Amino acid sequence: MNQNEKRMLLTSVSRPGRYAGGEYGQVIKDKGAVKARFAFAFPDSYEIGMSNLGIRILYHCLNQHDDIWCERVYAPWMDMQEKMKATGTPLTALESGDALTDFDFVGFTLQYEMCYTTVLNMLGLAGIPLRSADRDEDAPLVIGGGPCSYNPEPIADFFDLFNIGEGEEMLPEIVRLYIQMKEEGRYTRAAFLHEAARTIEGVYVPSLYTVTYKEDGTIEAYTPIYDDIPTKVRKRIVEDLDKAPFPERVVMPYIETVQDRITVEAARGCIRGCRFCQAGMVYRPVREKSAAVVDCQARAIFDNSGYEEMSLASLSISDHTEIDEMTDRLLAWTNPNMVSLSLPSLRADSFTKELMDKVASIRNSTITFAPEAGSQRLRDVINKNLYEEDLMRAVGVAFEAGKNQVKLYFMQGHPTETDEDLAEIPELAHRVVNAYYQNPNRQKGSRPPQVTISVSPFIPKPFTPFQWEAQDTLEEMKRKQEYVGSCNRDRKVKYNHHDAEVCHIEAVLARGDRRLGRALEEACHRGFAFDAWSEYFNYQNWLSVFADTGIDPAYYANRAWGLDEVLPWDVIDCGVTKTFLLRERESAYQNTTTPNCREQCSGCGANKLGGVRSCCPKKK
Amino acid sequence: MLSQEKMKRISKFDRPMLDTPITVRVIFQKTGNLQYFSHLDLQRTWQRVLVRASIPMWYTQGFNPHSKIVFGVPLPVGSEGMEEMVDLRIDREITCDEIKNQLNAELTSEMAVSEVYVPETTYMQIAWGVYEITVKTPGDTTANAAAIHELFNVATAPILMTKRSKSGDKEVDIRSMIHAVKATADCNGLIHIRATLRAGNTENLNPEYLIKAVRERLGLIPENAPADEVWYRILRIGFHDEKGVTTGKWFR
Repeated sequence: MNQNEKRMLLTSVSRPGRYAGGEYGQVIKDKGAVKARFAFAFPDSYEIGMSNLGIRILYHCLNQHDDIWCERVYAPWMDMQEKMKATGTPLTALESGDALTDFDFVGFTLQYEMCYTTVLNMLGLAGIPLRSADRDEDAPLVIGGGPCSYNPEPIADFFDLFNIGEGEEMLPEIVRLYIQMKEEGRYTRAAFLHEAARTIEGVYVPSLYTVTYKEDGTIEAYTPIYDDIPTKVRKRIVEDLDKAPFPERVVMPYIETVQDRITVEAARGCIRGCRFCQAGMVYRPVREKSAAVVDCQARAIFDNSGYEEMSLASLSISDHTEIDEMTDRLLAWTNPNMVSLSLPSLRADSFTKELMDKVASIRNSTITFAPEAGSQRLRDVINKNLYEEDLMRAVGVAFEAGKNQVKLYFMQGHPTETDEDLAEIPELAHRVVNAYYQNPNRQKGSRPPQVTISVSPFIPKPFTPFQWEAQDTLEEMKRKQEYVGSCNRDRKVKYNHHDAEVCHIEAVLARGDRRLGRALEEACHRGFAFDAWSEYFNYQNWLSVFADTGIDPAYYANRAWGLDEVLPWDVIDCGVTKTFLLRERESAYQNTTTPNCREQCSGCGANKLGGVRSCCPKKK
Repeated sequence: MLSQEKMKRISKFDRPMLDTPITVRVIFQKTGNLQYFSHLDLQRTWQRVLVRASIPMWYTQGFNPHSKIVFGVPLPVGSEGMEEMVDLRIDREITCDEIKNQLNAELTSEMAVSEVYVPETTYMQIAWGVYEITVKTPGDTTANAAAIHELFNVATAPILMTKRSKSGDKEVDIRSMIHAVKATADCNGLIHIRATLRAGNTENLNPEYLIKAVRERLGLIPENAPADEVWYRILRIGFHDEKGVTTGKWFR
């Protein structure tokens, strides 16, 4: 596409800046001089994708190699897709403007299940055959990674290869192997996939494993077709976060994106082990980045970006062993440079006045906590390890500092949940409102308090102690949503809930197996895309796709899975063992909590993967 | 770590304070991919560019301190500009050359700074914008160029167009906002239009209205035609005041 054609196309759509490229910080190389071209694809809009830290890191890891050129591609919005179809324009990468079919690799990051239809939609726009089996030798290798690759089975038919675990080292190794085999003249698609599966830890090539099913429809076995590839693919980790490659130069979007700020990852993994939480399990072992390195990287990004906000990324930032030193170091330069520092995901039990005084957000009158369940019994079931006193003390600190709005996140549908547990959600919020009025030290003269409770349905996720649990049926989810609302008798408590229908489909995809491939393919043919967006998600259309392709959504979402069943994700070893998950599930049913990793090792198994500054008492 | 230029550069905190803040004018391009970004995007981008270039900006002294930057005449999305203007208020000693070099180290070539100076004029004096419009049309290029030239120079009937504004749509005769239009054909089958149009805060004519007039009156530049047969691009090359000095770097 030449510049004139690009201009006529881009001036005919909304927000043309999404498709322009040319940002400060993008990497341009000579395509004739590189040995491999990699298109990093984010299956959602530019605004969402440009905010993703993982892509920033991997873009840097690949482009560090002089002979590899990694570019970016995002899903064109629907108005652009129509124009592309009308003008016969294929999907192109931002840096070079070249079609994806010109690339050696197209790598998708899989951040959430509801993006699967957009993945297929993008392959279609690129003119790449959807099924890996239908791609010829010249087609790009389509690879995937990210959180959803811990159960990649629903989309296994569409991918040549998956990265299981952290990609900083693995992804360049894959591309280097490709370059090496090409140079040695022994490259064929099949030989490369076999060699990658055989020699690179963390590589899962779904076509090299056959799946057999029992008569009742459950899985009988996963069998590798070669005896020199692993029967279980072990997750890769980066052992030392201080030494892991980290981009100090950011591609600076011209248009406003979801998170326009400096983001530095302070730790991977979480010491807590909430039993519904997939991230808390699959990112183990916990590894911290040291305060000095976080500070140094943040300062470099500031100098190269000019961002006015900064945030630390971590599953639970207040659990970082050097949080005080880290914030002190950062504030020493963020304050004079008028950069505001914010800390996400603060736990109520480690929220202190000292910490709150440090983080800017002066203009922000809202503070957010996630009790996840209303009653103490249920918080023990999910292993939240949070007591009402902790929450009350934390909101007290916030009220005394002048905050008057509290947001509380909850889930509904946890195992063993009763209506009494649900009724406790608005009750707890009501007690937070009372705590405001009863606090003699609250800042006077501010507006009345508001407590917002946001309740999402439980979705059983692979590699969690609750992976075997049934999700509530849609009717039950909706009944519970109404019930919670009916229990709310305080006008200062505002109640929000998630779309139950989306959560139902997400549960099907989260625990799906390869048989879902045909449903996703059909969904793609029917024009599905952007299912993470309420304006495009259509529940009835999903049900009809399932009905027409012989899929029973209840089999995946609403069934309590047998503890001895072969699970679709049993082909993957994420570090945490099934024995541990079963033990945790048993503890949940006994209302027993498990201490966090720092207090005591619970033997989850992830320490076999190694890790530096890993906070695991067993590993030394 | 930091690039070599950045290591050599003086941090803004090491520069002596001025007695009173001064204003400097920066002339920059907004070309190529930059044409697809709105004026709001440009403003946000400049705020960050100034920070990473360590320009000693003066900050407002309020509850929510922010730097003071004022743009010339916003460029519509889809138009490029060669001499766009932004005025900066700075409060520490720094030369115009240093500002230019520090900025260019932080900008892509599509937004490059060509000049920095202490202005003698205000944006209020801007009366006209000068545009170079390049058009590709099917058919006889010479005849098409002549028809375009005639439409804006010989014909006298009003060119009424619906103009959108904050106060609603209204019908206006765009002739009153056109100072001069000259259309010529070149030997490569392209038409070049040099147009001087109202620009500034009180009255401003988006050059797209010229394209629209050509489309509606002459049937040239049809919408939805294949992009290799019909296309146009708009480049703003400068401004002048009411007295009408041609163009270029007069606007000190």
